[in-house]
Amino acid sequence: MGNELNRRSFLNAAVSAAGLVAMGPLLSACGGSGAQRAGVNSDAGLKAVLPTYVPNPLIKPDIASIAGGPDVMTDPGFLSYPSNRIATVSGIPGKGGKYSAVTPLWGTIPPADSSFYQAMNKALGAQFEMKPADGNNYNTIVPTMTAAKKLPDWINLPGWWSSNFNTGGLVGNQLADLTPYLSGDNIKKYPNLAALPTAAWRAGAWGDKLYGIPAFSTGFKVAGAIFYRRDVLEAKGITADQVKSAEDLMNLGKELTDARAGVWAFDDVYRYTYTAFGAPLKWKVDNGKLVHLYETQEFLDAADWSRKLAVAGYVHPDALAGDNAGGSTRFYGGKTLISATGTGVWNLSDYQSGQAANPNYRRGAFNFFSADGKSAPRVDTGSATDIVSYLNINLKPEQIEECLAIANYLAAPFGSAEYTMVNFGVEGTHFTMQGGVPTPTDAGKKEVQAQTYPFLAAPAAVISTQSAPNVTKDITSWQAANVKALSKPVFWGMNISMPQAQATADAAQPVEDTLKDVIHGKKSIEDLKNAATTWKSSGGGDRLIQWMNDNVLQKYGTGQ
Amino acid sequence: MTTLRSGRTGRPARLNWRIRLRRDRSLILMTLPAVVLLLAFNYAPLFGLVTAFQEYDPLAGVWNSPWAGLYQFERLMSDPLFWGAVRNTLYLSFVQLILFFPVPIALALLLNSVLSQRVRNFIQSVVYLPHFFSWVLAITIFQQMLGGAGAVNHFLRNNDIGTWDVMTNPDTFALLVTSQVIWKEAGWGIIVFLAALAAINTDLYEAAAADGAGRWRRLWHITLPGLRAVIVLMLVLRLGNALTVGFEQFLIQRNAVGHDTAEVLDTFSFYYGIATNDYSYGAAAGLFKSVISLLLIWGANKLAHAFGEDGLYRK
Repeated sequence: MGNELNRRSFLNAAVSAAGLVAMGPLLSACGGSGAQRAGVNSDAGLKAVLPTYVPNPLIKPDIASIAGGPDVMTDPGFLSYPSNRIATVSGIPGKGGKYSAVTPLWGTIPPADSSFYQAMNKALGAQFEMKPADGNNYNTIVPTMTAAKKLPDWINLPGWWSSNFNTGGLVGNQLADLTPYLSGDNIKKYPNLAALPTAAWRAGAWGDKLYGIPAFSTGFKVAGAIFYRRDVLEAKGITADQVKSAEDLMNLGKELTDARAGVWAFDDVYRYTYTAFGAPLKWKVDNGKLVHLYETQEFLDAADWSRKLAVAGYVHPDALAGDNAGGSTRFYGGKTLISATGTGVWNLSDYQSGQAANPNYRRGAFNFFSADGKSAPRVDTGSATDIVSYLNINLKPEQIEECLAIANYLAAPFGSAEYTMVNFGVEGTHFTMQGGVPTPTDAGKKEVQAQTYPFLAAPAAVISTQSAPNVTKDITSWQAANVKALSKPVFWGMNISMPQAQATADAAQPVEDTLKDVIHGKKSIEDLKNAATTWKSSGGGDRLIQWMNDNVLQKYGTGQ
Repeated sequence: MTTLRSGRTGRPARLNWRIRLRRDRSLILMTLPAVVLLLAFNYAPLFGLVTAFQEYDPLAGVWNSPWAGLYQFERLMSDPLFWGAVRNTLYLSFVQLILFFPVPIALALLLNSVLSQRVRNFIQSVVYLPHFFSWVLAITIFQQMLGGAGAVNHFLRNNDIGTWDVMTNPDTFALLVTSQVIWKEAGWGIIVFLAALAAINTDLYEAAAADGAGRWRRLWHITLPGLRAVIVLMLVLRLGNALTVGFEQFLIQRNAVGHDTAEVLDTFSFYYGIATNDYSYGAAAGLFKSVISLLLIWGANKLAHAFGEDGLYRK
């Protein structure tokens, strides 16, 4: 779904990436082509290969996790940086191999030959050629590499683009099967990888085999949230709990927009509001019948609400002009006050960037609500992570083992010596300890803080904004207030790989294009309805729904 | 240097290829790298066109993808989105031909009439500069100036004049992109015309002035005929490229005005081919475009011959 030039496509992930296995033969039969596709993860088949979970109790958080439903929990919070920086890896993991790695980066690409890269090469004991690529265009960069079969040795393939990348087709063809190295107790060779929650490994599992190495996994995975400038709104006497319905939110548009002063209430919020209308992420099962998002009235209602928001003039003109990349600048500058995006933005660097623009800057998130304000708020939880890296199939077994040992280093828990190296660099060069907080130097800001290595492997997420503990408290309390609203959508945890034609229909470019026009106020709901109808009849939609029903729903159930 | 001329055609007589090879050896050597480049990057990839007749699957590769015959083309012909892209491309091309094409010529004439070499160099540098900006930058500048929250609208809004929607208005999109092209490329476009102007014999102007021809008569009778060959050549090239109106410019602004207006053939191939994994479909759209372009070049060249100009090539 969609080909957004930004990372808001988080939503797609929960559906396209979620964990079932073993449909290879079947898929190659209907793909009409010679290429085998990995298929879907099955419950039993996947359980047999999933790595053993061995938690690492060495480093205790200040704010413990709170459990929600199954596979759902809040992230632990650290108010300060662990002072003793325990080493979790003995010796140097690498054996002197040479590897190239491509990762998405939403920010300024760091210099290629930096002292940090050199220090990391030394720490890892391998020569890494890091090639971070612009995250906003990542979905267009990767297909050119896969088409030419020129993938690097190690690459990150975010799950929300699985259908664009055809990840399910790449595994086993261009990406290496890690099952023999990681399944069951094999993973105990890599204790930091073994400490990643089981749900995280599902994200990189295809056809009941382990391919991906998860990073930034979390038990509180939602597509995103509706954020607001807490400092500005509270100064106007508006608090988050006053927003209980779509109508409340719309009213804020009128109250907050002051175009003369160059302030608009909203940036694009559609992607993170449509499920509040009761629309499914992508699929739902209605009395046993599989229904696609585009077939639902809720989808049209949600789009219409966003359209009204745009037509009323509450949305920033640059957002309507399709400039998503400037969204955070507008938010920091107070040009927009409400912006919906992935929860990943709520962190220390956000606080610092915001503070640089305005010393009072404080980000807040509205609680999840239902559009009508009456039903219980519900939000779909995604797979434990979308940030999954893969190894090239051309690597030899000993090279794969070397890379996994390095992944084990990169996945060292928060506050460990290795974590400090990967995330802050060398003490004295890239960061200094100030008041117990690792503080990046100028070199550190340029070379280390533009994250690359963590996109290859990283420990499970914690919330820690060391120098700004209040941000940690804001986030943990927001998560705690909302953890009960998280529930699993249809096909949760089933990585579904489809034949070419279905993947094209799944991307549904014509509908997504029309949707964009509608939420920008250029087209009517009638146009959207027509686009959806055309997509169903001649765009492969009906065949996609049929295929999903026959090959996934009937065979493997909903995965919920 | 005297050259042998054939009595019949007035063109140099054909020499033995060995003599010609010896005579042109250094010239051939100099063009060799360009030829290699052309073969490697323009001719070799033509092989990829076979995917347009397949149900191409990058995982199976070109050799193993199943054949689909003309299926992709049948899809294209019945796809209203494709025809929308064709329509937009032709329309934008036409608008640019009318509004953009004469600009560099006028600019070159104007610049040529500036006497001070210093002023001329300065103006030249200023108008060249935007050519080196990327489209992202060019459009950002337009957005900052003319966008809904840009400088102009901010001024209008604060003076109660009402806002002027330029950047997201589908109805005026053709004018917007043409003005962007003028801003960015007109300066660069004058180079070839300036060169042609420099080649005009100044004696002609002096003689005409002595005979009492004014500024306009000299322009009409000396300058323009002197430029005619180049203008026709550029026109032929432009017509041949009528289906290529640019890619990034439309990719970036597609979300602003909507795909109905901003979809051109190149963005169509991209979005419906590469971005959605439907490579064969994209290749078919690309091939369709190339074939039409070839016909256009051929036709435009014929037209040039009809006007007595050399055009791109002559048999």
